Amino acid sequence: MKTKFVEALNEKAKAIERLAAGEAKTAEALGNPPGMPQGCTTIFDTGWETNPRPTYPIGNCQASARDFLGCAGDCWWPAQVPDGLTNNPDFDVACPSIARDWRNLKFD
Amino acid sequence: MGRKRLLPLVLAAAVCAGQPARAEAHDLFYYLGYEVIQVIDGDNDSIVADIPIKGAAREASLTADRKFMYVATNRHFVNKVDLALNRVVDTIDVSNDGWDRVMFGFVVDPEGKTAYGALMSRTTDHGEVVIGNPVVAQFDLATGKILRSVVVPWGIAHLVSVKGGTTIYAFGQDLYKIDTTGSDLRLAETVPMFDKHMNILPFWDYAWDNGGVASMPYYTPEGMGLLLLDQQTGDLQDVRLKGQPAMAYSVILSPDHKRAYAVMDDVTVIDLANRTFIASVPIKEGTCYGINVSADGRKIYAGGAGSTLTIFDAQTLKPLKVLQMASDGMDVRRISF
Repeated sequence: MKTKFVEALNEKAKAIERLAAGEAKTAEALGNPPGMPQGCTTIFDTGWETNPRPTYPIGNCQASARDFLGCAGDCWWPAQVPDGLTNNPDFDVACPSIARDWRNLKFD
Repeated sequence: MGRKRLLPLVLAAAVCAGQPARAEAHDLFYYLGYEVIQVIDGDNDSIVADIPIKGAAREASLTADRKFMYVATNRHFVNKVDLALNRVVDTIDVSNDGWDRVMFGFVVDPEGKTAYGALMSRTTDHGEVVIGNPVVAQFDLATGKILRSVVVPWGIAHLVSVKGGTTIYAFGQDLYKIDTTGSDLRLAETVPMFDKHMNILPFWDYAWDNGGVASMPYYTPEGMGLLLLDQQTGDLQDVRLKGQPAMAYSVILSPDHKRAYAVMDDVTVIDLANRTFIASVPIKEGTCYGINVSADGRKIYAGGAGSTLTIFDAQTLKPLKVLQMASDGMDVRRISF
């Protein structure tokens, strides 16, 4: 039996529930179907960018800024960097070198 | 100096002039950046040309006659670069026919009129999102129109053309071999990688730089290995390395194919015969995605990620020069003329 964790309390929430009644699932989380690329590898994400060196920054590219556009352009970390595939395709125009041009970053 | 003394010199010069020039390769390196490709002359390691390009450069493929390089940008544009003019002469978009497409994996067909791309696609139908099946598609390089395609599993990120373009190897969760010889593209064989616990980011392969051998690093819970794919035969060599792994985005072969050079935060030298790590030096400028080597094997070029290109002596691994590039970058490719 499916557990209901969230309960509508006010009229607006109840209206949303009525609106969604009978609606089928329209979105899939990454990883379903299995094999959808997540993180920095196409097979599975075991922390590709971990490195064994005990220096800053541990577990990341050195410096992190050097990896920024590589991640943005391919949408690896869309919560942390601009999404270059959908919402910010021209992000690099004002900022072609992050370490040099980061002051040009302008996001609402 | 008298005329009699000059005569032997004149004759020698005339003889030399009649001989073919020594076949010394002239290296040009192409730094694939953001909104620009920069050309570096391997003779003096200086930037000799800027090629404006739209977007973030990702993958590159070379025509058989080495006159044009196609560079994929923003994961959906394909730019035709005239290597004599150092200029983009045409740009197509694989997002067309009402579909948004992103391409992770791109290779030009040997005939040079079409290319293959590993595509994920999306569109809307009456306001609802529609996600297309992932495909490997052949498309027209003049129009971007898809000519034919085959549905493939999710997660493909790189394509390599083998056996004269009769087969496309698609690297993802597993390796998928796609037969291009029939009227339809056909998924002919799946070579397991996931079940072997192989973890791979196959964005860099250096097939043309290596003289027809694609080289890619991979990892398992036990260590590091290299995949070496012979484009002519389709043979895939699995080189499991001994010892603690070196973290690497990409790896390139020395011209004699006895060594490999891997790069991420360090440049690491690998002995391919003994499958061991020989030496490693940190890159002072920081992480690099791309690596290359001069045609004579004397210099190593590490660049991309950040906006630097560091040139190392291949024997001593001492840095010889650091070029400040116009942008961050994805890769550095070599064409020897």
